[in-house]
Amino acid sequence: MGFTLLLLAWLSLDDLVEDWSQVESAPEKLEIFFTEDLWPPDWSVLEAEVWVDGSLHKPNGDICDESIELFCSKAWTGMVVTVKMAFISTIVGFIFAVPLASLAAGNMTPLPIAIPARVLLAGLRSLPSIIWALLFAIALGFGPLPGILAMTLYTIGYLGKLQYEAMEGISNAPLESAMAMGLNHSERLFHVVIPESSNELLSQLLFMFEYNVRHGTVLGLVGAGGIGMYIDNYINPPFDYDRAFALLIVVFVVVVVIDLISMFIRSFVTEEGDVKRPKWWTVLLPAGVAADYYKKLSKFKGKNRSPDESE
Amino acid sequence: MSEDSTLELRDLSVGYKEPLISKINKKILPGESIAILGPSGIGKTTLLRTIAGLIRPLSGEISHSYPKRGGIGYIPQRLGLIRHSSVRSNITIGARTRRSRWYPALFPLSRELKNDVDSAMKSLNIEDLADEPVRILSGGQQRRVAIARTLIQKPRIILADEFLGELDTENVKSIIAATKAVIKEIGATMIMVEHHEERAIAIADRIWRIKGNELIEDGDSNQ
Repeated sequence: MGFTLLLLAWLSLDDLVEDWSQVESAPEKLEIFFTEDLWPPDWSVLEAEVWVDGSLHKPNGDICDESIELFCSKAWTGMVVTVKMAFISTIVGFIFAVPLASLAAGNMTPLPIAIPARVLLAGLRSLPSIIWALLFAIALGFGPLPGILAMTLYTIGYLGKLQYEAMEGISNAPLESAMAMGLNHSERLFHVVIPESSNELLSQLLFMFEYNVRHGTVLGLVGAGGIGMYIDNYINPPFDYDRAFALLIVVFVVVVVIDLISMFIRSFVTEEGDVKRPKWWTVLLPAGVAADYYKKLSKFKGKNRSPDESE
Repeated sequence: MSEDSTLELRDLSVGYKEPLISKINKKILPGESIAILGPSGIGKTTLLRTIAGLIRPLSGEISHSYPKRGGIGYIPQRLGLIRHSSVRSNITIGARTRRSRWYPALFPLSRELKNDVDSAMKSLNIEDLADEPVRILSGGQQRRVAIARTLIQKPRIILADEFLGELDTENVKSIIAATKAVIKEIGATMIMVEHHEERAIAIADRIWRIKGNELIEDGDSNQ
């Protein structure tokens, strides 16, 4: 089965690609682009702008009065705007996505309600956020607001779909108990479905935040502000690819940090969430001390378990 | 208990597309407890879920006047607890049904609600586990939580699907005693699906057996 699918994929690719000779020179071209344009990254994006009189300025022209120069840099100010945009869109999108997802989930509502809710969610996500941003930029002008609105609408459509699928995946038993008890839709949503699918919902929420941070860089291309605007400036003439590369590394680091935060937050609702978890500051301890700490924790974990087999 | 709480099954057929059990005609008076016995896959759970209002009957009628909110307490085979929530939150779900839907939202810290939940936990000896997430509890402890959640509802009828599971004798005895005491106190009817005949006889006043696709009632099991 797997082999057949792979073969089909290969045949489709072969059908689409007319000239395979272009692949031959690809490594060489990439090497030239990487060594001449990208490498080394230009880390001046982590510094404030120096004007002719020697004074330090923020990218918007304000005088840099921060004690740390990094806070006046393009990377920092751009990233802060991007993260703020992503945060607002994710939270607002989540607040609208959850009730819509509960209407679209087949185990919570009958089909005549679920289908229109699904169509609405599909409609919201079928336009990529960059097209939404373009529409809002035409209506409202450039700046973070069209970017935020675009990402919010896309978040509702995308997160809504992930969430109704997570809601449909929960065990039927708690939902049936609640239905037999006579709890209404919102009580079932808030007291059964959300706690029961909390791991997936949290994971999707954090993934969406990370996605919006990454996507904020693309939205800069339509003038939505943030770090994407600077990247856009650098990949256009006069082509400062080494600076764009440095900014992309900053985005990568932020995405990794969000992933680590996500891992920590989700540990509260995963199956292992009941055990005492290591503290973040253990990474600062010398290896031997940290090992002792983990050993103590694992003993605690052993004691804390009360498996069903004990009966 | 008023005559209102009588449950009547008239010409009831239950199943999915094809009937599993047909032509059930039974009257269950308030305070009675019934155990349904029969081999696996014969339709015991389907009958229970139909009475709970989760599946439509294929034909016939179920008549009762239980209140829509909180009138029926259902303990499914897999208990239906919310694994990531604490014991207290799980039991509070049952307590909600005795109040208007706005009450817990408007008064989430209500002392009355808290006291109700505390006394339900006490009656089933799980007060020490109040803040533990359900997923870390043992099978016996989880069963106590499920029962407490249903009993706090003070339902008119309890529908329990093999709620004693594979527990050891000691646990079964104490859970049966606790359940019986509360059922007596609130005067509820109980219909339970059970695999073990001895347990069924220990709890129930009436025994229903399913053979083929017929429901046959024994004489009074206490005699």
